[in-house]
Amino acid sequence: MKMIDIALPSQQYKRKVTIFSIAAVLVSLACVYMNFNPIGFFTEFHYVRDLLGEMFPPNYHVYTENSSTGYAILQTLSMAFLGTVYGGIIAMVMAFLAASNTMPYKFIRLIVQAVVSLIRVLPTLVVVLIFVIAVGPGAFAGMLTLVFTTIGTFGKLFADIIENAEKPPGEAIYSVGASHLQVIRYSIIPQVLPAFIASLLYAFDVSMRAAIGLGIFGGGGIGFRLQMAKSVLHYKDVTAYVSIIIVLVILTEKLSDYLRRKVLGDEKLN
Amino acid sequence: MTRSDFSFKRYRKWVIPLVLLAAVTEGAAIVCGATFGKLEEGLIKGAAFFRFMFPPDWAAFSEMLEPAFQSIMIAFLGTVFGTLLSIVFAVLASSNLAPGWVRNSARFLIGLERSIPEIVILLLMIAAFGLGPMPGIIALSLGCVGMLGKLLADIIEDLDPVMMESMESVGANKMQVIVFGVLPQILPNLISYSLFRLEINIRLSVLLGAVGAGGIGYELDYSFNMLQYHRAFTALLVVVVMVFGTERLSYILRKNIKMEGALK
Repeated sequence: MKMIDIALPSQQYKRKVTIFSIAAVLVSLACVYMNFNPIGFFTEFHYVRDLLGEMFPPNYHVYTENSSTGYAILQTLSMAFLGTVYGGIIAMVMAFLAASNTMPYKFIRLIVQAVVSLIRVLPTLVVVLIFVIAVGPGAFAGMLTLVFTTIGTFGKLFADIIENAEKPPGEAIYSVGASHLQVIRYSIIPQVLPAFIASLLYAFDVSMRAAIGLGIFGGGGIGFRLQMAKSVLHYKDVTAYVSIIIVLVILTEKLSDYLRRKVLGDEKLN
Repeated sequence: MTRSDFSFKRYRKWVIPLVLLAAVTEGAAIVCGATFGKLEEGLIKGAAFFRFMFPPDWAAFSEMLEPAFQSIMIAFLGTVFGTLLSIVFAVLASSNLAPGWVRNSARFLIGLERSIPEIVILLLMIAAFGLGPMPGIIALSLGCVGMLGKLLADIIEDLDPVMMESMESVGANKMQVIVFGVLPQILPNLISYSLFRLEINIRLSVLLGAVGAGGIGYELDYSFNMLQYHRAFTALLVVVVMVFGTERLSYILRKNIKMEGALK
């Protein structure tokens, strides 16, 4: 290597700088287009401070004064639970219809796969708006939306799990005279069931977060309470609701993690 | 299938869990006011309504393009600033770069953020900054910290300590260790995680738009509220194309990055 090569920036360094500056230019163009000033968050931080000043101290009396708060929490929990249970059952059935080692007819497989992907790309916002119109606002509309999102997220995953099940056990019992249904029952289901249950526990965690968000669009539950409190500018109530939401989410996550560990055994949890 | 497949003995241990599950489901159904009659009615009405939205209003299509682009930009900027913020938090939250108390408090903040749904953050940001794309971008950036911050911090903690020690032994200070030692190593992971986060943010930006961050979500919500369902259907199609397109793009990019290994 000659001296000049060491003194001048290397080819690699030049490439890095080029990529970095192109990215920087793109980002600043986007900022200009959106009229967004990243420094603004800090220079206009007094808005956040004002808001925090209005939010504290939290008005924890909403738990005791308004007896329906407990019911709203229960509603959110129920929405998430039902969405997971029904969505999970439908997703499992669809997965068995969509996996190549359980469904021999390609035609049906393709249809089910198409339905699952269609449900997957439908935006949650549209689903909840449609259900709010169809069944009226409330926890039921939120629950139906969660059924849909659970199918979309976990239908494909379940099909992949089934397709990745080990073949030799099934082939072994098939060779000694088991029927196709028996192969599914005694070889595939025992292999995939723990993974399914673990995924559904995770799905409950996800649904719980989604259920809070859906409340804001008319899905009922604690999210709806939060939205109401915010729209009438009762920020002290908002803080109280946010803190109960945080507690709920953390508890659900811990519970779901704990149960998953129980189902899968410690080492298999990724 | 023979009779022994259905013998009671085989399924005895499942009875109690299933009964419990059914009982909880029933209780939850009462709380939600969910009945099968209502379900049937809801599904029929929903499907009929969906049919009613046909055909899409193609004239409104050109009006949808700019809001769609705005939504993508909100998601993009949210991801970029969120990633930068997450790197800072990740460095503070890894035990090999930060002292114990800093690490623990950063981890606590990350965990706290992770347990607040993005939509709640957005509501608070709108309350602080008013309507518009700015609270949307800030909410998405803050939303990144919970996920990316934790993942990146875990990766940094798993890095080989020998490399960092050898840099320190020849006189590099903390900042130099981070910039020249840590960042290049986490870069491939960083890029693939932030692409994944971009996917999530695109979906979220639609949702956030409906609450008041503008963009295609606002168009969608507005058309629904104004009972212009054909227009809403156009917006729906645009959203589906947008979400699907980003998902494919991010998938392809992530696969390439994985194959290339470290992006040098």
